[in-house]
Amino acid sequence: MDKPKILIVDDDPDLRRALKIRLRANHYDTVQAADGYSAISVAQKENPNLIILDLGLPAGDGFVVLQRLQDSDSLSDIPVIVLTARDPQSSEEKTLQAGARAFFQKPADNNELLDVIRATLPNTWPGTALPS
Amino acid sequence: MNNGHTHVLLIEDNPGDADLVRLRLVEADSGVEVSSVNRLADGLAFMAKESPSVVLLDLNLPDSRGADTFRKVLEKAPGVPVVILSGQDDEALAMKALHQGVQDYLVKGDITSSHLERAMRYAIERQALLRTLEISRQQQLEFKNQFLSHVSHELRTPLTSIHQFVTILLDGLAGEVNPEQRYHLGTVLNSVHQLRAMIRDLLEATRAESGKIRIEPCCITIGDLIQQAVSMMAATAKEKQVGLEVGLDTRIPFVYADPDRVLQVLINLIDNGIKFTPPEGSVVVKACMVEADPKMVYISVSDTGRGIGPEARALIFERLYQDPNSVDNNRAGLGLGLFIAKQLVELHGGRIWVASEVGNGSTFSFTLPLYSLAKLLSPAITYADRLRDAVVLVKVELTPLPSVSRPAWKEICRQSLETLGRCVYLDKDLVLPVTGNVGFGETFFVAASTDLERAEIMMKRIREQLEARAGLKAAGVLKVSASAVALPSAEDGKTLEDRVRAVADRITEMVTLALPPKPGPESMDGEVSAARNETEANPTEQN
Repeated sequence: MDKPKILIVDDDPDLRRALKIRLRANHYDTVQAADGYSAISVAQKENPNLIILDLGLPAGDGFVVLQRLQDSDSLSDIPVIVLTARDPQSSEEKTLQAGARAFFQKPADNNELLDVIRATLPNTWPGTALPS
Repeated sequence: MNNGHTHVLLIEDNPGDADLVRLRLVEADSGVEVSSVNRLADGLAFMAKESPSVVLLDLNLPDSRGADTFRKVLEKAPGVPVVILSGQDDEALAMKALHQGVQDYLVKGDITSSHLERAMRYAIERQALLRTLEISRQQQLEFKNQFLSHVSHELRTPLTSIHQFVTILLDGLAGEVNPEQRYHLGTVLNSVHQLRAMIRDLLEATRAESGKIRIEPCCITIGDLIQQAVSMMAATAKEKQVGLEVGLDTRIPFVYADPDRVLQVLINLIDNGIKFTPPEGSVVVKACMVEADPKMVYISVSDTGRGIGPEARALIFERLYQDPNSVDNNRAGLGLGLFIAKQLVELHGGRIWVASEVGNGSTFSFTLPLYSLAKLLSPAITYADRLRDAVVLVKVELTPLPSVSRPAWKEICRQSLETLGRCVYLDKDLVLPVTGNVGFGETFFVAASTDLERAEIMMKRIREQLEARAGLKAAGVLKVSASAVALPSAEDGKTLEDRVRAVADRITEMVTLALPPKPGPESMDGEVSAARNETEANPTEQN
């Protein structure tokens, strides 16, 4: 079976690089986008199993991306996990209402993030062994 | 006076006194507009419609006397300047009024027109100044909030980068790391965690100041939460060779609180306890019921540290306070932890305090309210202001498998609750998140319906929908059961609320009895048998 593919959307290249290393080590393929506009085009082209989405983005912030995903027939089923420096009190509920599955504030704990990815991707749960 | 036009509201019941004041007012300023009323109620009604420039207030009126009179006026119209007209013999009361926000007072029989004019003008000016000050205070607070929120956001981005790459190195994802390098990287990771906690606390403290902290209370088992906090702090305690023990009263009912916030308070108190306790000492976390206060649960964290002196005890919950005698640790933090803990506990309707003696350790205690099902149940078990004959409770139990982690479980519980909501008739049935512990451990929900047939359909739908969840299937065990509860028939002399409460008590009892037996009082010496150690201080371990 193909490895699940995760789209990382973040304008910080360092974070994209770090997440790529982390996710690959856990047997996920990754593709990337650095802004809101290309997030949609990459999603259409690559058809990822899951999207990790920043909120503060150039060319259409995270909420715009969430809305476009919801509006699209082919993309509305892709689960989205929001990973942002914004504060949960002001943004968490809003992101979940906008259709995201989970909200993480940066810097997020790697285990927690991976656990939610596993819980969210039914085909991969519990595809990789959990750390003991 | 006020742009040339002054509108005075005179509240005075003695016609002679009222005439005299009106005369003096006209003498002082012919442009003044005077509205007179002789009862407090009429005065308050007037202020609800119009905003006079100043109120002249007699304290003894037909419908209100003494201090009550000015308190009611200040409460009703906090921005309007008030000048009291006092009798010869109640100057003491007038002084009291000044302390509580009245601008000035004049003694009747001693009022000249210039006197009156000056008192009114100063009252108006002072009140305007107060208003400007308050607006500027609010603006500053808002600016500070925005500034800190911005700073915290900007600091988090580079911090995330450091965190990510340090954990990548520590987890060996970029090649082998030798023990010395690992040790140094561990120090970096610790500092990242400290920085992160400080950024969080800064924002929280500002929020607490402006009353913007939110809590989401639900039904929790406090014992589980304490065990969780203790297991999260076990590594820190062990490193400092401080014992960490738990003592739980087995009879504690459910508590109504926000589990994440309570965990935050517990971690803060335990962390402080460990910090100020020398090696070989111990920290004990206890929860118990107190007979004199049956609606609250009492939680305490005691240490065998050096104790806190009386001066420090008085200030310890203040923002930015740090005990000058606590110099043994090189990084004291920001001094915000206890301030935030106090705000969080008080938001729950509890209180927090410390008992301590220098040289003899300290005990921090706080209270949390018990959970009451009555309020939540009342819409399901009443109908058109009458108690229904029977109610069917559908209980959905979820038990996590040992391999699943807390955040993943939390997400599954959230999704399950959502699914459950779709399985009921929204106008007739009800879903109650009567969760064992929203975080981790056995969790259950109760749905209430009014007839058995519908409850059976509901059960079937809930089971099918939840079993279709791949995540749940792999992470936990599902059990759905229904039971009918006959509701007592109407009894004379009992209000509907009393009866709803009685039913809720019975249901609470049923739900509580269905829980697995809670662990008895026990002690643990630093070693805690937690399924997972969730402290992030431990570098992640990936394949």
